[in-house]
Amino acid sequence: MFGGVNDTATSNTTSHQVVLPFYGYASLAYLAATLLLAFSSNAFTGHYFHPHILTITHIMALGWGTMMILGASYQLVPVLIERKLYSPVMAQISFVLAGLGIPLLCYGFYIFNMGWPAQFGGWLILSSVLLYLINLAISMAKSQEENVHAFFVFTATLWLLATVVVGLLLVYNFTHPLLPRSSLDYLPVHAHLGIAGWFLLLVIGVGSRLIPMFLISKYSHTRILWWIYGLINGGLLSFIGFFLYSDNRVWLLVPTAAIAIGLLLFALFCYRSYMQRIRKKVDEPMQVSLLSVLMLFLPLVFLVVILLLLIFGPAGNTLYVSAYGFVILFGWITAIILGMTFKTLPFIIWNKVYHLLAGRQKTPNPKDLFNESVFKWMSLAYLAGFVLFCGGILLQNQIVLQAAAVLLLISSVLYNWNVIRLLLHKPAVV
Amino acid sequence: MNVITNNQLKATVALAALQEVVDPEIGLNIVDLGLVYQIDFDEANRKLYCTMTLTTQFCPMGESITHAAAEALKACFAGDDVIVELRFDPPWNHEMISEAGREFLNNK
Repeated sequence: MFGGVNDTATSNTTSHQVVLPFYGYASLAYLAATLLLAFSSNAFTGHYFHPHILTITHIMALGWGTMMILGASYQLVPVLIERKLYSPVMAQISFVLAGLGIPLLCYGFYIFNMGWPAQFGGWLILSSVLLYLINLAISMAKSQEENVHAFFVFTATLWLLATVVVGLLLVYNFTHPLLPRSSLDYLPVHAHLGIAGWFLLLVIGVGSRLIPMFLISKYSHTRILWWIYGLINGGLLSFIGFFLYSDNRVWLLVPTAAIAIGLLLFALFCYRSYMQRIRKKVDEPMQVSLLSVLMLFLPLVFLVVILLLLIFGPAGNTLYVSAYGFVILFGWITAIILGMTFKTLPFIIWNKVYHLLAGRQKTPNPKDLFNESVFKWMSLAYLAGFVLFCGGILLQNQIVLQAAAVLLLISSVLYNWNVIRLLLHKPAVV
Repeated sequence: MNVITNNQLKATVALAALQEVVDPEIGLNIVDLGLVYQIDFDEANRKLYCTMTLTTQFCPMGESITHAAAEALKACFAGDDVIVELRFDPPWNHEMISEAGREFLNNK
Protein backbone atom coordinates (compact mmCIF):
# COMPACT_ATOMS: atom_id res chain seq x y z
CA MET A 1 0.00 0.00 0.00
CA PHE A 2 1.16 3.49 -0.70
CA GLY A 3 2.02 5.49 2.36
CA GLY A 4 2.63 9.16 2.28
CA VAL A 5 3.67 12.18 4.21
CA ASN A 6 1.23 15.01 3.76
CA ASP A 7 3.29 17.98 4.73
CA THR A 8 3.74 21.65 4.27
CA ALA A 9 7.18 21.96 5.67
CA THR A 10 9.38 18.91 5.37
CA SER A 11 10.74 19.68 1.90
CA ASN A 12 11.34 23.32 2.70
CA THR A 13 14.89 23.04 3.95
CA THR A 14 17.69 24.24 1.70
CA SER A 15 19.33 21.52 -0.37
CA HIS A 16 22.70 20.17 0.76
CA GLN A 17 23.97 20.95 -2.75
CA VAL A 18 23.69 24.64 -1.90
CA VAL A 19 25.16 24.46 1.59
CA LEU A 20 28.02 21.95 1.42
CA PRO A 21 30.31 23.84 -1.00
CA PHE A 22 30.44 26.71 1.52
CA TYR A 23 31.55 24.33 4.29
CA GLY A 24 34.22 22.76 2.07
CA TYR A 25 35.52 26.14 0.92
CA ALA A 26 35.63 27.55 4.46
CA SER A 27 37.55 24.53 5.79
CA LEU A 28 40.19 24.92 3.07
CA ALA A 29 40.39 28.65 3.79
CA TYR A 30 41.11 27.91 7.46
CA LEU A 31 43.86 25.53 6.37
CA ALA A 32 45.29 28.15 3.99
CA ALA A 33 45.21 30.84 6.69
CA THR A 34 46.97 28.68 9.30
CA LEU A 35 49.51 27.55 6.70
CA LEU A 36 50.27 31.16 5.87
CA LEU A 37 50.37 31.97 9.58
CA ALA A 38 52.97 29.24 10.12
CA PHE A 39 55.17 30.76 7.40
CA SER A 40 54.55 34.39 8.39
CA SER A 41 54.31 34.32 12.17
CA ASN A 42 57.29 36.70 12.47
CA ALA A 43 55.16 39.37 10.75
CA PHE A 44 53.24 39.66 14.03
CA THR A 45 56.24 41.24 15.72
CA GLY A 46 55.88 44.31 13.50
CA HIS A 47 53.12 46.69 12.37
CA TYR A 48 49.75 45.12 11.60
CA PHE A 49 49.61 46.83 8.19
CA HIS A 50 51.77 44.09 6.70
CA PRO A 51 50.88 42.30 3.42
CA HIS A 52 50.90 38.86 5.03
CA ILE A 53 48.81 39.98 8.02
CA LEU A 54 46.32 41.65 5.66
CA THR A 55 46.17 38.45 3.60
CA ILE A 56 45.65 36.21 6.65
CA THR A 57 43.02 38.63 8.01
CA HIS A 58 41.01 38.55 4.78
CA ILE A 59 41.31 34.78 4.32
CA MET A 60 40.03 34.38 7.89
CA ALA A 61 37.31 37.04 7.70
CA LEU A 62 36.04 36.23 4.20
CA GLY A 63 37.15 32.72 3.27
CA TRP A 64 36.67 31.18 6.70
CA GLY A 65 34.19 33.26 8.70
CA THR A 66 31.98 34.72 6.02
CA MET A 67 31.84 31.69 3.71
CA MET A 68 30.97 29.43 6.62
CA ILE A 69 28.33 31.82 7.89
CA LEU A 70 26.82 32.27 4.42
CA GLY A 71 26.58 28.50 3.96
CA ALA A 72 25.20 27.86 7.42
CA SER A 73 22.73 30.70 7.12
CA TYR A 74 21.34 29.37 3.82
CA GLN A 75 20.50 26.29 5.90
CA LEU A 76 19.42 28.09 9.08
CA VAL A 77 17.57 31.16 7.80
CA PRO A 78 14.52 29.06 6.85
CA VAL A 79 14.53 27.73 10.45
CA LEU A 80 14.78 31.27 11.82
CA ILE A 81 12.14 32.91 9.63
CA GLU A 82 10.01 29.79 9.14
CA ARG A 83 9.95 30.36 5.41
CA LYS A 84 11.67 28.67 2.51
CA LEU A 85 14.83 30.23 1.03
CA TYR A 86 13.68 32.27 -1.99
CA SER A 87 16.30 31.11 -4.51
CA PRO A 88 18.80 28.25 -4.11
CA VAL A 89 20.22 29.18 -7.55
CA MET A 90 21.06 32.70 -6.33
CA ALA A 91 22.74 31.08 -3.34
CA GLN A 92 24.87 28.91 -5.64
CA ILE A 93 25.83 31.89 -7.78
CA SER A 94 26.77 33.81 -4.60
CA PHE A 95 29.12 30.92 -3.76
CA VAL A 96 30.83 31.02 -7.15
CA LEU A 97 31.25 34.81 -7.06
CA ALA A 98 32.68 34.92 -3.53
CA GLY A 99 34.68 31.75 -4.15
CA LEU A 100 36.47 33.43 -7.06
CA GLY A 101 36.65 36.89 -5.55
CA ILE A 102 38.26 35.99 -2.21
CA PRO A 103 41.49 34.42 -3.58
CA LEU A 104 41.88 37.29 -6.07
CA LEU A 105 41.54 39.88 -3.32
CA CYS A 106 43.87 37.97 -1.00
CA TYR A 107 46.43 37.54 -3.78
CA GLY A 108 46.35 41.33 -4.21
CA PHE A 109 47.08 41.78 -0.52
CA TYR A 110 49.81 39.14 -0.54
CA ILE A 111 51.78 40.84 -3.30
CA PHE A 112 50.58 44.19 -1.95
CA ASN A 113 49.35 45.37 -5.31
CA MET A 114 45.91 46.93 -5.31
CA GLY A 115 45.62 46.57 -9.08
CA TRP A 116 43.12 44.53 -11.06
CA PRO A 117 43.17 41.24 -9.07
CA ALA A 118 42.27 42.97 -5.80
CA GLN A 119 39.78 45.30 -7.51
CA PHE A 120 38.09 42.60 -9.57
CA GLY A 121 38.07 40.28 -6.54
CA GLY A 122 36.40 43.02 -4.52
CA TRP A 123 33.69 43.49 -7.16
CA LEU A 124 33.02 39.75 -7.25
CA ILE A 125 32.67 39.66 -3.45
CA LEU A 126 30.37 42.69 -3.56
CA SER A 127 28.17 40.98 -6.19
CA SER A 128 28.02 37.86 -4.03
CA VAL A 129 26.96 39.84 -0.95
CA LEU A 130 24.30 41.69 -2.97
CA LEU A 131 22.85 38.38 -4.17
CA TYR A 132 22.82 37.06 -0.60
CA LEU A 133 21.09 40.23 0.61
CA ILE A 134 18.42 40.11 -2.12
CA ASN A 135 17.81 36.39 -1.52
CA LEU A 136 17.46 37.02 2.19
CA ALA A 137 15.23 40.08 1.75
CA ILE A 138 12.76 38.28 -0.54
CA SER A 139 12.70 35.20 1.72
CA MET A 140 12.07 37.37 4.77
CA ALA A 141 9.45 39.55 3.04
CA LYS A 142 7.30 36.42 2.71
CA SER A 143 7.53 35.80 6.45
CA GLN A 144 4.43 37.09 8.22
CA GLU A 145 5.63 37.25 11.80
CA GLU A 146 7.97 39.81 13.34
CA ASN A 147 11.07 37.84 14.21
CA VAL A 148 13.93 39.31 16.21
CA HIS A 149 16.41 36.74 14.86
CA ALA A 150 15.54 37.69 11.28
CA PHE A 151 16.14 41.37 12.12
CA PHE A 152 19.58 40.51 13.45
CA VAL A 153 20.48 38.49 10.34
CA PHE A 154 19.16 41.05 7.86
CA THR A 155 20.77 44.02 9.61
CA ALA A 156 24.04 42.07 9.85
CA THR A 157 23.92 41.55 6.08
CA LEU A 158 23.39 45.28 5.52
CA TRP A 159 26.51 45.89 7.62
CA LEU A 160 28.37 43.25 5.58
CA LEU A 161 27.40 45.13 2.43
CA ALA A 162 28.68 48.35 4.01
CA THR A 163 31.93 46.60 5.02
CA VAL A 164 32.54 45.34 1.49
CA VAL A 165 31.67 48.69 -0.12
CA VAL A 166 34.06 50.53 2.22
CA GLY A 167 36.70 47.82 1.66
CA LEU A 168 36.42 48.20 -2.11
CA LEU A 169 36.67 51.98 -1.77
CA LEU A 170 39.85 51.52 0.29
CA VAL A 171 41.32 49.24 -2.37
CA TYR A 172 40.66 51.88 -5.07
CA ASN A 173 41.89 54.63 -2.74
CA PHE A 174 45.40 53.17 -2.95
CA THR A 175 45.64 53.89 -6.68
CA HIS A 176 43.00 56.61 -7.20
CA PRO A 177 42.61 58.97 -4.23
CA LEU A 178 38.84 58.85 -3.76
CA LEU A 179 38.80 59.59 -0.03
CA PRO A 180 40.14 62.66 1.82
CA ARG A 181 42.56 60.59 3.93
CA SER A 182 44.76 57.53 3.35
CA SER A 183 43.22 54.04 3.35
CA LEU A 184 45.05 53.19 6.57
CA ASP A 185 43.11 55.92 8.40
CA TYR A 186 39.79 54.27 7.52
CA LEU A 187 40.81 50.74 8.50
CA PRO A 188 39.17 50.93 11.98
CA VAL A 189 35.81 51.82 10.39
CA HIS A 190 36.10 49.07 7.75
CA ALA A 191 37.16 46.51 10.37
CA HIS A 192 34.44 47.36 12.90
CA LEU A 193 31.68 47.40 10.31
CA GLY A 194 32.68 43.80 9.68
CA ILE A 195 33.39 42.75 13.26
CA ALA A 196 30.48 44.32 15.15
CA GLY A 197 28.06 44.86 12.26
CA TRP A 198 28.41 41.61 10.36
CA PHE A 199 29.92 38.94 12.63
CA LEU A 200 28.65 40.04 16.02
CA LEU A 201 25.07 40.79 15.01
CA LEU A 202 24.82 37.64 12.94
CA VAL A 203 26.32 35.36 15.57
CA ILE A 204 24.02 36.80 18.26
CA GLY A 205 20.96 36.61 15.98
CA VAL A 206 21.57 32.99 15.04
CA GLY A 207 23.12 31.95 18.38
CA SER A 208 20.19 33.27 20.40
CA ARG A 209 17.97 30.89 18.42
CA LEU A 210 20.28 27.89 18.22
CA ILE A 211 21.77 27.84 21.72
CA PRO A 212 18.40 27.45 23.53
CA MET A 213 17.28 25.07 20.77
CA PHE A 214 20.28 22.74 21.10
CA LEU A 215 20.18 22.89 24.91
CA ILE A 216 16.37 22.35 24.86
CA SER A 217 16.09 25.30 27.18
CA LYS A 218 12.92 26.67 28.70
CA TYR A 219 14.42 30.15 28.61
CA SER A 220 13.10 32.71 26.17
CA HIS A 221 13.42 36.48 26.38
CA THR A 222 12.77 38.42 23.19
CA ARG A 223 12.98 41.83 24.88
CA ILE A 224 16.58 41.30 26.00
CA LEU A 225 17.46 40.44 22.38
CA TRP A 226 15.91 43.71 21.16
CA TRP A 227 18.00 45.59 23.72
CA ILE A 228 21.13 43.87 22.45
CA TYR A 229 20.12 44.73 18.88
CA GLY A 230 19.69 48.40 19.79
CA LEU A 231 22.91 48.61 21.80
CA ILE A 232 25.12 47.06 19.13
CA ASN A 233 23.64 48.98 16.22
CA GLY A 234 23.57 52.20 18.23
CA GLY A 235 27.13 51.58 19.39
CA LEU A 236 28.34 50.95 15.86
CA LEU A 237 26.58 53.99 14.38
CA SER A 238 27.94 56.24 17.12
CA PHE A 239 31.43 54.76 16.63
CA ILE A 240 31.35 55.69 12.93
CA GLY A 241 30.13 59.20 13.78
CA PHE A 242 32.70 59.83 16.53
CA PHE A 243 35.56 58.27 14.57
CA LEU A 244 34.97 60.26 11.41
CA TYR A 245 33.80 63.58 12.81
CA SER A 246 35.44 64.06 16.21
CA ASP A 247 39.11 64.44 17.10
CA ASN A 248 38.43 63.75 20.75
CA ARG A 249 39.00 60.02 21.16
CA VAL A 250 37.35 59.99 24.61
CA TRP A 251 34.01 59.84 22.79
CA LEU A 252 34.93 56.39 21.48
CA LEU A 253 34.35 55.05 24.98
CA VAL A 254 30.60 55.62 24.45
CA PRO A 255 30.17 53.06 21.62
CA THR A 256 32.58 50.71 23.41
CA ALA A 257 30.39 50.86 26.53
CA ALA A 258 27.21 50.32 24.49
CA ILE A 259 28.63 47.24 22.78
CA ALA A 260 30.07 45.94 26.07
CA ILE A 261 26.60 46.15 27.68
CA GLY A 262 25.16 44.37 24.63
CA LEU A 263 27.72 41.58 25.03
CA LEU A 264 27.00 41.28 28.75
CA LEU A 265 23.29 40.94 28.01
CA PHE A 266 24.02 38.25 25.42
CA ALA A 267 26.22 36.38 27.89
CA LEU A 268 23.37 36.64 30.43
CA PHE A 269 20.95 35.30 27.82
CA CYS A 270 23.24 32.32 27.14
CA TYR A 271 23.81 31.71 30.86
CA ARG A 272 20.07 31.66 31.59
CA SER A 273 19.47 29.38 28.59
CA TYR A 274 22.15 27.07 29.93
CA MET A 275 20.79 27.06 33.48
CA GLN A 276 17.22 26.38 32.34
CA ARG A 277 18.14 23.60 29.94
CA ILE A 278 16.20 20.34 30.00
CA ARG A 279 19.00 18.37 28.34
CA LYS A 280 21.59 18.10 31.08
CA LYS A 281 24.58 16.78 29.15
CA VAL A 282 26.21 19.40 26.96
CA ASP A 283 28.14 17.80 24.09
CA GLU A 284 31.64 18.91 23.10
CA PRO A 285 30.77 20.97 19.99
CA MET A 286 28.24 22.84 22.14
CA GLN A 287 30.85 23.37 24.88
CA VAL A 288 33.22 24.93 22.33
CA SER A 289 30.38 27.14 21.06
CA LEU A 290 29.57 28.29 24.61
CA LEU A 291 33.27 28.94 25.21
CA SER A 292 33.23 31.26 22.20
CA VAL A 293 30.60 33.40 23.98
CA LEU A 294 33.10 33.94 26.82
CA MET A 295 35.82 34.62 24.25
CA LEU A 296 33.80 37.64 23.14
CA PHE A 297 35.08 39.52 26.17
CA LEU A 298 38.76 39.10 25.33
CA PRO A 299 38.69 41.50 22.34
CA LEU A 300 36.79 43.91 24.53
CA VAL A 301 39.68 43.99 27.00
CA PHE A 302 42.14 44.70 24.17
CA LEU A 303 39.81 47.34 22.74
CA VAL A 304 39.73 49.21 26.07
CA VAL A 305 43.55 49.03 26.31
CA ILE A 306 43.88 50.36 22.73
CA LEU A 307 41.45 53.19 23.46
CA LEU A 308 43.17 54.15 26.71
CA LEU A 309 46.55 54.24 24.92
CA LEU A 310 44.96 56.36 22.19
CA ILE A 311 43.40 58.77 24.69
CA PHE A 312 46.13 59.10 27.30
CA GLY A 313 49.42 58.79 25.58
CA PRO A 314 51.51 58.92 22.48
CA ALA A 315 52.58 55.30 23.16
CA GLY A 316 52.19 53.01 20.16
CA ASN A 317 49.30 50.56 20.21
CA THR A 318 50.13 48.42 17.17
CA LEU A 319 50.95 45.43 19.39
CA TYR A 320 47.51 45.51 20.96
CA VAL A 321 45.80 46.11 17.61
CA SER A 322 47.44 42.93 16.26
CA ALA A 323 46.38 41.03 19.39
CA TYR A 324 42.86 42.51 19.14
CA GLY A 325 42.45 41.36 15.54
CA PHE A 326 43.91 37.96 16.34
CA VAL A 327 41.59 37.25 19.30
CA ILE A 328 38.58 38.17 17.17
CA LEU A 329 39.41 36.13 14.07
CA PHE A 330 41.33 33.21 15.54
CA GLY A 331 39.57 33.36 18.91
CA TRP A 332 35.91 34.15 19.01
CA ILE A 333 34.97 33.57 15.34
CA THR A 334 37.08 30.43 14.96
CA ALA A 335 35.85 28.91 18.23
CA ILE A 336 32.22 29.36 17.29
CA ILE A 337 32.81 27.88 13.82
CA LEU A 338 34.83 24.92 15.15
CA GLY A 339 31.99 24.13 17.55
CA MET A 340 29.01 24.84 15.31
CA THR A 341 30.44 22.97 12.30
CA PHE A 342 30.00 19.73 14.21
CA LYS A 343 26.54 20.73 15.43
CA THR A 344 25.29 21.40 11.88
CA LEU A 345 27.38 19.57 9.25
CA PRO A 346 26.79 16.00 10.56
CA PHE A 347 23.02 16.62 10.38
CA ILE A 348 23.20 18.00 6.85
CA ILE A 349 25.22 14.94 5.78
CA TRP A 350 22.95 12.58 7.71
CA ASN A 351 19.92 14.11 6.00
CA LYS A 352 21.60 13.77 2.62
CA VAL A 353 22.63 10.14 3.07
CA TYR A 354 20.06 8.61 5.39
CA HIS A 355 16.79 10.52 5.19
CA LEU A 356 15.11 7.86 3.05
CA LEU A 357 16.60 5.00 5.05
CA ALA A 358 15.39 6.31 8.42
CA GLY A 359 12.64 4.05 9.79
CA ARG A 360 13.44 1.26 7.34
CA GLN A 361 16.70 0.19 8.89
CA LYS A 362 19.02 1.15 11.72
CA THR A 363 21.10 4.17 10.81
CA PRO A 364 24.08 5.71 12.62
CA ASN A 365 23.60 8.83 14.75
CA PRO A 366 24.68 12.07 13.08
CA LYS A 367 27.31 12.60 15.78
CA ASP A 368 28.86 9.25 14.84
CA LEU A 369 29.68 10.53 11.36
CA PHE A 370 32.75 12.42 12.57
CA ASN A 371 35.57 11.26 14.78
CA GLU A 372 35.10 12.60 18.31
CA SER A 373 38.64 11.87 19.34
CA VAL A 374 39.99 13.88 16.38
CA PHE A 375 37.60 16.64 17.44
CA LYS A 376 39.06 16.58 20.97
CA TRP A 377 42.66 16.77 19.69
CA MET A 378 41.64 19.54 17.30
CA SER A 379 40.11 21.51 20.21
CA LEU A 380 43.21 21.02 22.37
CA ALA A 381 45.62 22.02 19.57
CA TYR A 382 43.42 25.02 18.81
CA LEU A 383 43.17 26.22 22.43
CA ALA A 384 46.88 25.77 23.08
CA GLY A 385 47.79 27.45 19.77
CA PHE A 386 45.42 30.33 20.40
CA VAL A 387 46.66 31.06 23.95
CA LEU A 388 50.31 30.73 22.92
CA PHE A 389 49.93 32.95 19.88
CA CYS A 390 48.29 35.70 21.98
CA GLY A 391 51.19 35.39 24.41
CA GLY A 392 53.66 35.46 21.49
CA ILE A 393 52.18 38.72 20.17
CA LEU A 394 52.25 40.38 23.59
CA LEU A 395 55.76 39.13 24.40
CA GLN A 396 56.92 39.73 20.80
CA ASN A 397 58.58 36.33 20.95
CA GLN A 398 59.16 34.67 17.55
CA ILE A 399 59.73 31.18 18.93
CA VAL A 400 56.44 31.23 20.83
CA LEU A 401 54.66 32.62 17.76
CA GLN A 402 56.12 29.91 15.53
CA ALA A 403 55.22 27.08 17.94
CA ALA A 404 51.69 28.47 18.35
CA ALA A 405 51.25 28.79 14.58
CA VAL A 406 52.20 25.13 14.16
CA LEU A 407 49.59 24.15 16.78
CA LEU A 408 46.95 26.16 14.94
CA LEU A 409 48.00 24.50 11.68
CA ILE A 410 47.55 21.10 13.37
CA SER A 411 44.08 22.16 14.52
CA SER A 412 43.13 23.12 10.96
CA VAL A 413 44.49 19.82 9.55
CA LEU A 414 42.42 17.88 12.12
CA TYR A 415 39.38 20.04 11.42
CA ASN A 416 39.73 19.40 7.68
CA TRP A 417 40.22 15.70 8.32
CA ASN A 418 36.84 15.52 10.06
CA VAL A 419 35.10 17.77 7.54
CA ILE A 420 36.41 15.75 4.57
CA ARG A 421 35.38 12.54 6.35
CA LEU A 422 31.88 13.98 6.70
CA LEU A 423 31.67 15.30 3.14
CA LEU A 424 32.74 11.93 1.70
CA HIS A 425 30.52 9.86 3.98
CA LYS A 426 28.82 6.91 2.29
CA PRO A 427 25.78 5.04 3.67
CA ALA A 428 26.63 2.61 6.43
CA VAL A 429 24.07 0.20 7.82
CA VAL A 430 24.34 -0.33 11.56
CA MET B 1 0.94 14.91 26.46
CA ASN B 2 -1.92 12.56 25.69
CA VAL B 3 -2.30 11.37 22.13
CA ILE B 4 -5.83 11.67 20.73
CA THR B 5 -7.15 8.54 19.04
CA ASN B 6 -10.35 6.80 17.96
CA ASN B 7 -8.94 3.36 18.75
CA GLN B 8 -7.01 3.12 22.01
CA LEU B 9 -5.85 -0.45 21.52
CA LYS B 10 -4.41 0.04 18.03
CA ALA B 11 -2.97 3.42 19.02
CA THR B 12 -0.97 1.71 21.78
CA VAL B 13 0.59 -0.54 19.13
CA ALA B 14 1.22 2.43 16.83
CA LEU B 15 2.85 4.42 19.63
CA ALA B 16 5.09 1.48 20.47
CA ALA B 17 6.24 1.48 16.83
CA LEU B 18 6.75 5.24 16.85
CA GLN B 19 8.89 4.94 19.97
CA GLU B 20 11.52 3.43 17.70
CA VAL B 21 11.70 6.68 15.74
CA VAL B 22 14.31 8.92 17.31
CA ASP B 23 14.95 12.63 16.74
CA PRO B 24 18.58 12.40 15.52
CA GLU B 25 19.67 15.64 17.19
CA ILE B 26 18.06 15.15 20.58
CA GLY B 27 18.40 11.37 20.73
CA LEU B 28 14.91 10.97 22.19
CA ASN B 29 12.04 9.12 20.51
CA ILE B 30 9.27 11.21 18.96
CA VAL B 31 6.55 9.90 21.29
CA ASP B 32 8.33 10.92 24.50
CA LEU B 33 9.43 14.13 22.81
CA GLY B 34 5.71 14.92 22.43
CA LEU B 35 5.71 15.22 18.65
CA VAL B 36 2.79 12.84 18.09
CA TYR B 37 -0.61 14.58 18.49
CA GLN B 38 -3.19 12.20 17.10
CA ILE B 39 -3.52 8.71 15.62
CA ASP B 40 -6.80 7.77 13.95
CA PHE B 41 -7.85 4.61 12.16
CA ASP B 42 -10.28 4.43 9.26
CA GLU B 43 -11.12 0.73 9.56
CA ALA B 44 -13.41 0.60 6.52
CA ASN B 45 -10.80 1.99 4.13
CA ARG B 46 -7.78 0.56 5.98
CA LYS B 47 -6.23 3.95 6.52
CA LEU B 48 -4.12 5.19 9.41
CA TYR B 49 -3.81 8.93 10.00
CA CYS B 50 -0.96 10.12 12.18
CA THR B 51 -0.91 13.82 13.03
CA MET B 52 2.38 15.02 14.40
CA THR B 53 4.53 18.10 14.74
CA LEU B 54 8.21 19.06 14.70
CA THR B 55 10.20 20.91 17.36
CA THR B 56 10.40 23.81 14.93
CA GLN B 57 8.36 24.31 11.77
CA PHE B 58 11.34 24.35 9.42
CA CYS B 59 13.31 21.68 11.27
CA PRO B 60 16.10 20.53 8.90
CA MET B 61 15.54 16.96 10.14
CA GLY B 62 11.77 17.19 9.55
CA GLU B 63 11.72 15.18 6.34
CA SER B 64 13.71 12.33 7.89
CA ILE B 65 11.60 12.23 11.05
CA THR B 66 8.23 12.17 9.26
CA HIS B 67 9.52 9.67 6.73
CA ALA B 68 10.78 7.42 9.53
CA ALA B 69 7.42 7.71 11.34
CA ALA B 70 5.55 6.69 8.17
CA GLU B 71 7.90 3.74 7.63
CA ALA B 72 7.58 2.57 11.25
CA LEU B 73 3.77 2.65 11.03
CA LYS B 74 3.74 0.90 7.66
CA ALA B 75 5.90 -1.87 9.06
CA CYS B 76 3.55 -2.25 12.02
CA PHE B 77 0.25 -2.07 10.10
CA ALA B 78 1.20 -3.87 6.92
CA GLY B 79 -1.36 -3.37 4.19
CA ASP B 80 -2.77 -0.18 5.66
CA ASP B 81 -2.46 3.13 3.94
CA VAL B 82 -0.42 5.33 6.30
CA ILE B 83 -0.84 9.08 6.09
CA VAL B 84 1.40 11.28 8.24
CA GLU B 85 0.24 14.86 8.55
CA LEU B 86 2.16 17.73 10.08
CA ARG B 87 0.42 20.27 12.30
CA PHE B 88 1.98 23.30 13.94
CA ASP B 89 -1.01 24.42 15.95
CA PRO B 90 -0.39 24.14 18.82
CA PRO B 91 3.34 24.59 18.27
CA TRP B 92 5.62 22.16 20.08
CA ASN B 93 7.08 23.28 23.39
CA HIS B 94 9.18 21.60 26.09
CA GLU B 95 6.06 21.03 28.25
CA MET B 96 5.06 18.34 25.74
CA ILE B 97 8.04 16.13 26.67
CA SER B 98 6.86 13.16 28.74
CA GLU B 99 8.19 12.34 32.20
CA ALA B 100 10.15 9.43 30.73
CA GLY B 101 11.56 11.80 28.13
CA ARG B 102 12.63 14.31 30.79
CA GLU B 103 14.29 11.57 32.77
CA PHE B 104 16.15 10.45 29.64
CA LEU B 105 17.34 13.99 28.93
CA ASN B 106 18.35 14.46 32.56
CA ASN B 107 20.60 11.47 32.40
CA LYS B 108 21.92 11.95 28.88
